[in-house]
Amino acid sequence: MFTALSNVTIEIQEGDRIAVMGPNGAGKTTLLKLIGGLILPAKGDIVVNGFSTAHHSADARKSVGFVLNEERSFFWRLTGTQNLEFFGALDNLGGADLRNRIQELISLVGLEEAAGRVVEGYSSGMKQRLALARGLITEPRVLILDEPTRALDPIAADEMIDLILSRIYSDSRKTLLIATHRMDEALKLCNKVLVIDKGRIQAFDSISDLKRDQITLSQYYRRALAVEAV
Amino acid sequence: MMPLLRKAGAFVVRDFRIESGYKTAFLIRIVDSMMLLVLFYFLSQLITPHNSSALRGHGYSYFSFALIGLAFARYFDLTLRMFSESIRLAQVTGCFEAMMSSQTGCITVALMSSLYGLISGGVQLLVILAAGVVGFGMDLTHLNFLATAVVLVLSLTIFVAFGVLSAAAVVWLRKGDPITWILGGFGTIVGGAYFPTDMMPPWMQKVAMVNPITYCLDALRMTMLQGYSVVTIAKPLVTLLGIVAIFLPISLGLFTAAVRKGRREGTLTQY
Repeated sequence: MFTALSNVTIEIQEGDRIAVMGPNGAGKTTLLKLIGGLILPAKGDIVVNGFSTAHHSADARKSVGFVLNEERSFFWRLTGTQNLEFFGALDNLGGADLRNRIQELISLVGLEEAAGRVVEGYSSGMKQRLALARGLITEPRVLILDEPTRALDPIAADEMIDLILSRIYSDSRKTLLIATHRMDEALKLCNKVLVIDKGRIQAFDSISDLKRDQITLSQYYRRALAVEAV
Repeated sequence: MMPLLRKAGAFVVRDFRIESGYKTAFLIRIVDSMMLLVLFYFLSQLITPHNSSALRGHGYSYFSFALIGLAFARYFDLTLRMFSESIRLAQVTGCFEAMMSSQTGCITVALMSSLYGLISGGVQLLVILAAGVVGFGMDLTHLNFLATAVVLVLSLTIFVAFGVLSAAAVVWLRKGDPITWILGGFGTIVGGAYFPTDMMPPWMQKVAMVNPITYCLDALRMTMLQGYSVVTIAKPLVTLLGIVAIFLPISLGLFTAAVRKGRREGTLTQY
């Protein structure tokens, strides 16, 4: 059996906004999936909002919204609204509450015009915004985003970051975990940075500490990975 | 209870919306069944009940015998396949992980993903039976509705159990599963869907005796063609109940174990 992560111990506080960084194959997505309860640890435990993902997975998942970066995670023959109706029902929502929530989210992510069309015709950016709406449908305390701008062009990526920053993360009590390769994304959205490589945590600090020590995120990242500056 | 019903409704509505985009698929399945219906009708003209003690003793035609076998074996086969197929489809389309990240457990997702197939298959079953009665003169005047409903529910539960077992094999092995082949293809023939088991060679009759389809179809023919009541088919019912009692907990347990293994190894969404 392949071991993706080993000896990882972290404590994440309410309101933390953590950029999970590292090279491809470092274990970033595995860490996020462990926290989101999609994968169970072979050893140890993950506790989210007081609930173990292994033993009380349904309760643990209540606190978590997972924004997958997989474009095909929607039913392409259904409209955006119909997809949200389905996934909302899986999260125990229904009736007028769900309909109102969907309207609110569609407006929040700016998909008013496209919501009634089948997802098949959506651009990558639109699918990513729909994924964000799905991740927020239960108003989760913890939002996990796995490389939300990976498949997006620079303008769409900037719009996505602005969307998360300005309209969603105005609530300081919410916790954000975001796997990213983009330094600007990490600096704009997060207050802490976690660097993973070869399945182990190499560094975990607050961005304000970096500023205090007068090192850039790029320098910090390279130092954590023991990579010489160019 | 309400959230479960709501979820069940969401799965049915989702699949109906998707299926309605492929209108011809349903029609093709019906036409396909009708072709078999015609085939068995003309075949039945060549076969007299004297060839089989099973037919001779009960006084119904080969066509009625084969039609019950055809219609229900197809329905059971569909029930058997849809659990593993719905999981495999969700894995391939990439929606499985999204569903797994919701507050709905894997077993509920697997069971509910198959609801629309059960309903749609039930409609096909009724269409085939109606065509048999109206178009080909099949005699259902002795039908005992209550007993048939009881047998059908038990039979479906058996195939749900084996379907879940098959889904466990898909999650565990991540390749084709042997259960569907054994019960779906081979099992249908050996289970007496198209010809009575007493016509088979002795070794096949022994296989038929351990094949759940045999008991399901025998009981359905008794209640639909001979009017047997729940009381008069108590013995076959106990057999069907016994199969349910043994295999349903086993298959649910194995599926849960397979999902847990997949979640621990990170292979749940791989195919």
